[in-house]
Amino acid sequence: MKSVLSCTGTLLVSLLFCFGLQAATPNLVVYTYDSFTSDWGPGPKVKAAFEAQCLCTLELVGLSDGVAMLNRIKLEGDNSRADILLGLDTNLTAEARSSGLFARHDLSLPVSALPDPWQDDLFLPYDFGYFAFVYNKEKLANPPTSLRQLVENSNGPTLLIQDPRTSTPGLGLLLWMKKVFGEGSDRAWAQLSPRIVTVSKGWSEAYGLFLKGEADMVLSYTTSPAYHLIAEQDSRFAAAHFAEGHYQQIEVAGMVRTSQQKQLARAFLEFMISEDFQKIIPTTNWMYPAITGADVVPAEFSQLIDPSPALLLDETIVARQRKGWVDDWLEVMSR
Amino acid sequence: MTMSRAMPASLVLAILALLVLSPMAGLLHLSALPGYEAVDPRFWENAYLRRVVFFSLWQALLSTLLSVLPAILVARAFAMQPQLPLRRLLLGLFALPLVVPAVVVVMAVVSVYGSNGWLPLGRSLYGINGILLAHVFFNLPLAVRLLLPQWQAIPQHHWQLGEQLGMNTWQRFRFIEWPMLRESVPGVSLLIFMLCLTSFAVVLTLGGGPRSTTVEVAIYQSLRFDFDPAQAVVLALLQLGLCMLVAMLTLKLQRMPAVEIALSIAYRHRALRLRWFDLGIILLATLYVGMPLTSLLIDALRGPLGQTLGDLRLWQALANTLFIGLSAALLSVTAGWFLLQYSASLAEQGHSRRARLVDLAGSIVYVVPPLVIGTGMFVLLAPHVDVFDWVYPIVIAINALMGLPFVIRCLGPAMRQNHARYHRLCQALALRGWHRFRHLEWPLLRRPLGLAIALVAVLAMGDLGVIALFGSTQSATLALMIYQQLGAYLVAQASVTAVLLLLLCLGVFALLERCIGGSRDAKN
Repeated sequence: MKSVLSCTGTLLVSLLFCFGLQAATPNLVVYTYDSFTSDWGPGPKVKAAFEAQCLCTLELVGLSDGVAMLNRIKLEGDNSRADILLGLDTNLTAEARSSGLFARHDLSLPVSALPDPWQDDLFLPYDFGYFAFVYNKEKLANPPTSLRQLVENSNGPTLLIQDPRTSTPGLGLLLWMKKVFGEGSDRAWAQLSPRIVTVSKGWSEAYGLFLKGEADMVLSYTTSPAYHLIAEQDSRFAAAHFAEGHYQQIEVAGMVRTSQQKQLARAFLEFMISEDFQKIIPTTNWMYPAITGADVVPAEFSQLIDPSPALLLDETIVARQRKGWVDDWLEVMSR
Repeated sequence: MTMSRAMPASLVLAILALLVLSPMAGLLHLSALPGYEAVDPRFWENAYLRRVVFFSLWQALLSTLLSVLPAILVARAFAMQPQLPLRRLLLGLFALPLVVPAVVVVMAVVSVYGSNGWLPLGRSLYGINGILLAHVFFNLPLAVRLLLPQWQAIPQHHWQLGEQLGMNTWQRFRFIEWPMLRESVPGVSLLIFMLCLTSFAVVLTLGGGPRSTTVEVAIYQSLRFDFDPAQAVVLALLQLGLCMLVAMLTLKLQRMPAVEIALSIAYRHRALRLRWFDLGIILLATLYVGMPLTSLLIDALRGPLGQTLGDLRLWQALANTLFIGLSAALLSVTAGWFLLQYSASLAEQGHSRRARLVDLAGSIVYVVPPLVIGTGMFVLLAPHVDVFDWVYPIVIAINALMGLPFVIRCLGPAMRQNHARYHRLCQALALRGWHRFRHLEWPLLRRPLGLAIALVAVLAMGDLGVIALFGSTQSATLALMIYQQLGAYLVAQASVTAVLLLLLCLGVFALLERCIGGSRDAKN
């Protein structure tokens, strides 16, 4: 009985101590997407690394994706608990900008790895990647060498893609086609359509079906083969290099205007573009880090294709046209 | 007596209305603010939307027919074979498909019918074929579970009478079994219709493309991609309206059989020739349900078992899953109990139409997408409370709401028969309240009650939706974990987690059904 009492006492004291500590250290709230916070994403490592230097608690809140984060903060408005939003991409930044919910970061990328110079006073990139069609080298000997070839060869490989309404790569392919075919993109989609095995809700479904051998190629990232190389020592997978170039996805973070701890939030953004954060990215988020540095990128990444020239549409054009383009796509694909 | 039953039931109905309508009102209010689009009254002129509505109804109707009609045969075969070896295990297996997260079902269906599968269908899998295969996989076993108890409600002397009159199998079905089924089949069909109408990831991924878009997808699009709350509410109401129409139709078909006082209820022993027929049917159904589940098991056994199972967070997720599932089941069954008590007493007094409307009100909330309810609740709550503290209560409430139609289907017919048989007796004996529950309702209703609780618990355990919606700093549930693993290239780990979820559900199902349903359940 005595030992139970003393145990309870110790527990109470240590609990009180914990609460005391918590009250003393500030809490930085970061809204991000679910796969960032998951046990296999960058989240746990980022949290440990930042907390080791900030004397604060980093609270990572996982939402389903960038769109959900932006909707969420718009709904919360001035009452939001968030200090940082991490995980928007350049297709969402125009909308995020016009919401007026973000504050200037007053930072610059030290040694940018991005193909184009980064100028944005609200958002800072933390990683980027290129969309690509991934295939199994043992099964597909002669992959197409350009997007045009993929579209025009009616005997070409079968494809798995994602829906632009529900998935980031899906929207990426839509913009890629727009960038390459311009006004002719509807016709190009119509040509491609018979070889599309299915259009999935998210990346996971399409990639899972691809690994089960349901199609020759899957819409993914140029960095996907790096996962198989590094985590599975499997070199069968490759991304097809397309002559027109590959469409980019740049993932960014921004500071919320109503944040009560701008200094700490800025410290986090600074940490985000430092090597400590950046070297976590390649093997957890499977994207390119935003800065260049001695040991930021693992050696296996050099075996990946060179995706240049990098393609990107202006964020304001995307924001204005996205809905119309998706409606056109639905029309063509429903025929 | 009806008054005292009307009170708690009205409270439940009021809470239901509040849970469903207030979020929609919240969203509509939001859309009136500057920066949002107002309701477009001409939305029906949109050809795309009309196609979506047509496709949703068509695929749901086909899926329902293909699930329910064979399920009648299968349930009948099970009912006629009470001594079948492994019967209990097979029926436990039939409770599983419902809990498998949609993305896992897609993978399992592809393992069996994909181009490298055991029964390859090739490209033709993608389209209506794939949708139907997956929906029947989900719903045929459910229908079997829900219909099977109907055979037990057939009094022994009906069979004896049938024998004396020299009825053949068809006549027996037509005059003895069908009258009992007419109470259940329309309701079970409606439930399955609702499940298929609101199907999302299965339809999108196995449907082959935007040709196969359902209203549910359109709602998701308007609330997430376009962030147009008004449009989302309009579409949600449209879906509710469509379902209401179908519900009215099924109500017309529904007939409540007269309830007789009969104490001995037993199974028929059948002729040997028919026994083989029953066994064949059971074998086919088991193969159909078992193959995709087996493919999951094989994937899991090939996966990194030790590494995945050694992860402490997996067990944390398991505890969360269990907590959410059991809480939701308890809440759902409590709410359902009061609703059904009321509708049973209405039916007993001859207001059978009103009784069915009460049941319907409890069921139909299912078709309002959790995304709409969740987002609406968020709009209402966020200005006043810290939503993060409310994640679990909200998740449990929404899951309980989604479980209500299952409770009504499992418990409704038994409750009504029970009420019709014993209500007068109870009144004569002044048996009411706790004593009535303890001495009459519990012993007689524990079997369907056990099935209801078990079903809602596993359903909530397999649910992914709401936690992901609200975003959480707490640890994941198993279903969410499966999605996270798939999103991180960890296909093999995901299949281990999926099988763990399945085993957990199987265990919980068996335990709840046995503890609450009682050991007599070995025969059910």
